[in-house]
Amino acid sequence: MDFTCRQQPKGVCAVRGDSQKVFREGKFRRQTMSRRARKDALAFIGFTAPNFILLGVFVFWPIVYSLFLSFFKWNMIAPKKTFIGMDNYVSLFNDPVFWQITRNTLALAVFTVLFKLGIALSLSIQLNRNPRGGSLYRAIIFSPTFTTSVAVAMVWTWIFEPTYGLFRFLFRAVGMTSPDWIHNIHWALPAVIIVLVWSGIGYDMVLFLAGLKNIPQDIYDAALVDGVTPWQNFIHITFPLLSPTTFFLTVTSFIGALKAFDIISIMTDGGPLNSSNVYVLYLYQNAFQWFKTGYASALALILFLLIMVVTLVQNRLSRRWVHY
Amino acid sequence: MKRYVLVLLIALLALSTTAVWAGAAAEKAPEGPVKIVYWRSLTGVAGEVQEELVARFNASQDKVIVESQFQGAYAEILQKLLAALAAGNLPDVVLLDSPFVALFAKDGALVSLDQFVKKDKTGFDLDDYIPGLIQDGYYDGSLYAMPVMRSTPLLYVNGDMLVEAGLPRRAPKTWDEFREFSKKVSKYNAAGEPIQLGAGFTMGQTSAHWYFQGAVYSFGGQVSDEQFNIHLTEEPAIKLATLWQDMVFKDKTAMPSNSHDDLLNRKVAMVFGSTGSMGNLLSRADFDVIPAFMPGQVQNLVPVGGSVLAMTSTDKFRQDAAWEFMKYMTSAEANSAIVIKTGYMPVSKSSMAYPETVAYFQANPVRKVAVDQLQFTRPQASVISLGKGTEILRQMIEKLLIANRDPKRVMEETSADLLKEYNDSFK
Amino acid sequence: MVEVHKKRSARWYLGRAGSHLILILASLFIGIPFLWMVTTSIKSPAEVAIFPPIWWPKTIRWDNFAKAWSLAPFGRFYINSIITATTGVFLEVSIAALSAYAFARIRFKYRDVMFLVMLAAMMIPSQVALIPNYVVLKHLKWINTYQGIVIPHVSSVFGAFLLRQYFLSVPAALYDAAELDGLGHFKTMVHIALPLARPVLGTLVLYLFLAKWNSYLWPLIVTNTQNMRTLPVGLAMVRTAEYAIGPEHLMAASLFVLVPPLIVYFLAQKQLIEGIAAGAVKG
Repeated sequence: MDFTCRQQPKGVCAVRGDSQKVFREGKFRRQTMSRRARKDALAFIGFTAPNFILLGVFVFWPIVYSLFLSFFKWNMIAPKKTFIGMDNYVSLFNDPVFWQITRNTLALAVFTVLFKLGIALSLSIQLNRNPRGGSLYRAIIFSPTFTTSVAVAMVWTWIFEPTYGLFRFLFRAVGMTSPDWIHNIHWALPAVIIVLVWSGIGYDMVLFLAGLKNIPQDIYDAALVDGVTPWQNFIHITFPLLSPTTFFLTVTSFIGALKAFDIISIMTDGGPLNSSNVYVLYLYQNAFQWFKTGYASALALILFLLIMVVTLVQNRLSRRWVHY
Repeated sequence: MKRYVLVLLIALLALSTTAVWAGAAAEKAPEGPVKIVYWRSLTGVAGEVQEELVARFNASQDKVIVESQFQGAYAEILQKLLAALAAGNLPDVVLLDSPFVALFAKDGALVSLDQFVKKDKTGFDLDDYIPGLIQDGYYDGSLYAMPVMRSTPLLYVNGDMLVEAGLPRRAPKTWDEFREFSKKVSKYNAAGEPIQLGAGFTMGQTSAHWYFQGAVYSFGGQVSDEQFNIHLTEEPAIKLATLWQDMVFKDKTAMPSNSHDDLLNRKVAMVFGSTGSMGNLLSRADFDVIPAFMPGQVQNLVPVGGSVLAMTSTDKFRQDAAWEFMKYMTSAEANSAIVIKTGYMPVSKSSMAYPETVAYFQANPVRKVAVDQLQFTRPQASVISLGKGTEILRQMIEKLLIANRDPKRVMEETSADLLKEYNDSFK
Repeated sequence: MVEVHKKRSARWYLGRAGSHLILILASLFIGIPFLWMVTTSIKSPAEVAIFPPIWWPKTIRWDNFAKAWSLAPFGRFYINSIITATTGVFLEVSIAALSAYAFARIRFKYRDVMFLVMLAAMMIPSQVALIPNYVVLKHLKWINTYQGIVIPHVSSVFGAFLLRQYFLSVPAALYDAAELDGLGHFKTMVHIALPLARPVLGTLVLYLFLAKWNSYLWPLIVTNTQNMRTLPVGLAMVRTAEYAIGPEHLMAASLFVLVPPLIVYFLAQKQLIEGIAAGAVKG
């Protein structure tokens, strides 16, 4: 759980045991301990029951049930589920589309994270210099964070339109021919990445900015005396001291990209020829369009494992390069 | 102590009050008019005419009230129906893409209409329907669906564009001619970008496979037969696939097209379309649109498409109400309105002889093509009724026209995929 | 010395200009799609189909919005979105506050273990739960109902975690005073803890509201009929019409969905951004 704690930017994460301390310091009147303890226990259960019942039914149980379903052939309509052992997993690993979407999903995650974080970092550095109108820039760049992805996907589909779209116009302006992004096997995935980067920059930028504000100014002042260049400043001071934020954003963005659905389902529906299909969309298609429930459950379980592994690996790697 | 019980109660109450908001389709007692739910598909005039007929039906009598609910395109209505079956939350009457009758009838999701036909004493006559259009409403000898908005694939041609290119103002008769026309019509700018092309090949899951089926028929082949034998690797299918692919990649006179806007915006001179799109296209185009037969090659033959009405009611009273509604929707009066508004085909002899239909075809001879094509129809390929069938065929067309893959290989792969899907989900 | 100062000053101005250039480019990249959406929505069909594109129509076609509104029952979608988002936020915040208070202030033998169990739920992506949740809802007969849209997503881990931190930071003396006054846990939470956490509560409410308003995948799966669909799902359905709807109408319809969250955002922009910067909101 160390990890969840570390995910949070500074200040949010309190040391466990705080609560005990508070209680120790409080000067409670002595009651008969057992009665009070019983009363508290009941209160505790009452207060937490709604949350734990819901978590149990809608979060924990699904993992178990997915595992169960993944051993069956079932179309969700028929009353009968047929036990087929590991067959769903076997056909999954023999399904070329599965490998294609796995590659797509990883490519999408890696490129989205790289571009998104890179652009967000450079923007936050500019904003940290407190330019005039900084809060306006910040407000504009942050705005996609709270917009409806369905509407976003629609306007971008229109921007990518090959005949009257803005991108054709932009490409023409620099003397190039714009591809038919959404209907082209090679360009559909990049088109999706552009939209995901567009909608994610603002959030990352704001978190980077918060991280930058936490770096004490006197470190830079000291460096200034030594005649350090801005680039060296960045490499030796800013980047290392920002690494907790970078790490947090890398993990959350990567996992977020693994779960991408809305924008892709509307813009390309995974096409053409699955060239922009990704994990969750394929899961959705199998479960709710083709009613291959068992197969989709196997997919869900592998997604779960994949996200666990990514989290653990990144957590482990972080020890090498994150400076707290 | 009491207080915590109270907290718990409040928390539980907060959860359970939400359960009080009932959703749609709760059971209704059969006193007063019976309320039934109709799931419709299609938008534009084809959607409007359904709403209009539902309103007319509701106004015409006081025993049944129909609530019409839009469910999206054919493919979506299929998913929604599967979901509703799973959830036990079924509508009473549903507009189905014709090939899915078998799929649902097989699993017992549809109500057989035989009993209603038998006990109907209002002079209802099944023989009034045109045989070719009611034929695919049967499954295993029982009637499960009634024809309502039946269509055939047509070729829509921009006549002005053909004339500008020095061609006659008529649609190409064969696929060879189709290719020639496309070459003559295509124009490019200095950068080599196309300004206008001969043809747009329909993509998309709903109907791409339908035009492909029609074209395979015209080459003398078929996609699959009733025993689910797949014939894609045979010569007619391969020939056709090669022709379409060559037009896109070798001639560069055709392109994959995602909507009829490509015709309306003069990007292409010819597109495929349903007879049901006729009203829409003719009214929106600002040039001369010629609705024509799909090109023939060795024969003129097209798959019947469009939609049928099926009953999914689980309740006796609602079934009777649903039957009344279905009869109305397929009656001469209602069907004539559909024909006039949309261009769909008349489904019965009485509808064809209905005075308004007759007058309409006299005034608009160009639209008669739908009726003329009636004699060249046959049911769709069996594989369409597989859960993933249309998706596999869509992938096939994308492999041919977007990825430019070898037709023979593509057909082999597609056949294997269809066979696997058949074994997986249908057998 | 003066010379050196002047030189730095010139470089400083150059740097400033560079900053602005980068930020302006980024703002354009972010802003142009919104602008394009707005101008497309008021064009005529002919103006939409022009290349190179024009930025502003000759006459503004407000009737595009009327036409777009008639494409689907958007009024109903609005009502559904408002109902599901507000009840969802109310339930989730209530549940979060109750849990948070318990973990912060009530002693219980298994408290730490339960806290870990709760945090573990954060690791489970909701997409994994799609199928099982659908099956659960099917048994509850909740498919295509408001509770089906709302209830599976009102359990709270992050909100509970966040509020717990705030409840812990309340000086113990205040709780002691409440205890001396004979206030029970529930009243202490309502009268002492929650009012003190008001800023973070506000941010949480806003964030949850926007997230629920915009959610797409789950409402898509659990709704079957027009009268239960939320705005994003309804909008997505409009797009899948049999024949293409003009881009001007599609953009107008998209604006119906996009404008409410944008208004909320610009009104509460400062609080939302700073709330996120302060770690108030999960990524």
